Amino acid sequence: MIGLRPRNGWVIWFSLGLALLLSVAPLPDFMEVGRPLWPALILTYWVLALPHRVGMTTAWLLGLGVDVLYGTLLGQNALILTLVTFLVLNLHQRLRMFPMWQQSLVLLVVFGLAQLVQLWLNALTGNRPPTLAFVLPALVSALLWPWVSVALRGVHQRLNVN
Amino acid sequence: MGVRLLVLVVLSATLMVVDARFESLKPMRSQLGLVLTPFYWLADFPVRMWDGATAQFTSRSELLGENEKLKAEALLMQRRLQKLAALTEQNVRLRELLNSSSLVDEKVLVGELIGVDPNPFTHRILIDKGGKDGVFLGQPVLDARGLMGQVVEVMPYTSRVLLLTDITHSIPVQVNRNGLRAIASGTGNPERLELRHVADTADIKEGDLLVSSGLGQRFPAGYPVAVVKEVVHDSGQPFAIVRAVPTAALNRSRYVLLVFTDTRTPEQRATDSAEAQEKVDRQAEQKAAEALQNEGAGSAPAPVATPAPAGADAPSPAPTAPAKPATTPAKPAATPAKPATQGERR
Repeated sequence: MIGLRPRNGWVIWFSLGLALLLSVAPLPDFMEVGRPLWPALILTYWVLALPHRVGMTTAWLLGLGVDVLYGTLLGQNALILTLVTFLVLNLHQRLRMFPMWQQSLVLLVVFGLAQLVQLWLNALTGNRPPTLAFVLPALVSALLWPWVSVALRGVHQRLNVN
Repeated sequence: MGVRLLVLVVLSATLMVVDARFESLKPMRSQLGLVLTPFYWLADFPVRMWDGATAQFTSRSELLGENEKLKAEALLMQRRLQKLAALTEQNVRLRELLNSSSLVDEKVLVGELIGVDPNPFTHRILIDKGGKDGVFLGQPVLDARGLMGQVVEVMPYTSRVLLLTDITHSIPVQVNRNGLRAIASGTGNPERLELRHVADTADIKEGDLLVSSGLGQRFPAGYPVAVVKEVVHDSGQPFAIVRAVPTAALNRSRYVLLVFTDTRTPEQRATDSAEAQEKVDRQAEQKAAEALQNEGAGSAPAPVATPAPAGADAPSPAPTAPAKPATTPAKPAATPAKPATQGERR
């Protein structure tokens, strides 16, 4: 890593843009409740793969984008994505050693925490979802993690992103 | 790393507080919205493509059938409109008699849905009209069947609409049958509104139409909002539980109407309609004169002379038209010519 010049940085930004797009893509009603946390998922991959390139500032900026897109309070998703990135950065050396299913398990906890913070902040602004369904996206994201991770690794290695 | 986390967390918290409590971030937000709206366009693109493709390949017989149906519908609507024009005029004049400034006609703008809030627990939609089209905060939004909600965020080319059924939304309504007032609150279910604090003995029953009462100063009065679905009288509860179904197709409408309330005073409106009437009358006179001219080929100067005084005469009855009902309120005699002015007032 040391001594390597940043290369193909656009791939990272492109994938994050894609995450934003996926996060507002229309879904059938019954799937809407379990919409995966695309920004968090894709961000997590880049933080794990290139911790020197993608950090909390990137996460914060992406979160601001999500806030504007969703029309939530400015800073709400920024805060959540920053927290996710912080946790993943803290764990990244251990997380990289784990087999895929164990990574998924750890990420389930991380995303679950993120959704909990989301719920708490939503409750502050007065709309609290009446059900426990808010943890569903965390579960779906954790289940999707292996596929997302493999797909992004393919892109990462093919294009030699650094 | 910890320091950076702390800085970013504090920054986010500050942003949230400022955004929730003050107005200062609104312009920045709307500009950012401008940059990020293409995401909604792109995300919606497959749906629009699909719609376009299906429209392209709709069979001829289907189109013919639809055409037939629409023609029949248009005929029905026109018949109702004829009646409505007369009734509207009558209503305006009666209201003027009562010195009430209530409005009958409003200007509308058609918007198209371009996105739905991805959060399933909030009911908000994104439409393709924004500040540049004159959309303002709190503007009522309707569809063909009833009220849908209000604008809560205006961006330059798009705006966000909070629907009636959002859990944070309430609207003052009236039972159309007897004028009973109530507040209809959203429940988070797109097919359900609940009336708050309705007395157990209140005269409200299944099938009652609820219309907006206009008391909240936000929605225009008289638009259909919901139909009462069930009334539960539970002696253990202080109030009756009234559930209603919104008349608007909240999760199906693709086109919405944005209502601009008319800010003119009744006097102004009366003058405007009188002027429009005058213009129509004059045009009619001119046409008649031309017809006369064409018929009477020999004596050209004579018919030209006659329409002039007639044209001068025309304005005098028109301006008095709004005042006339003062003596005979329910007289519909003056109305038949009026519908032509409808176009001018919008």
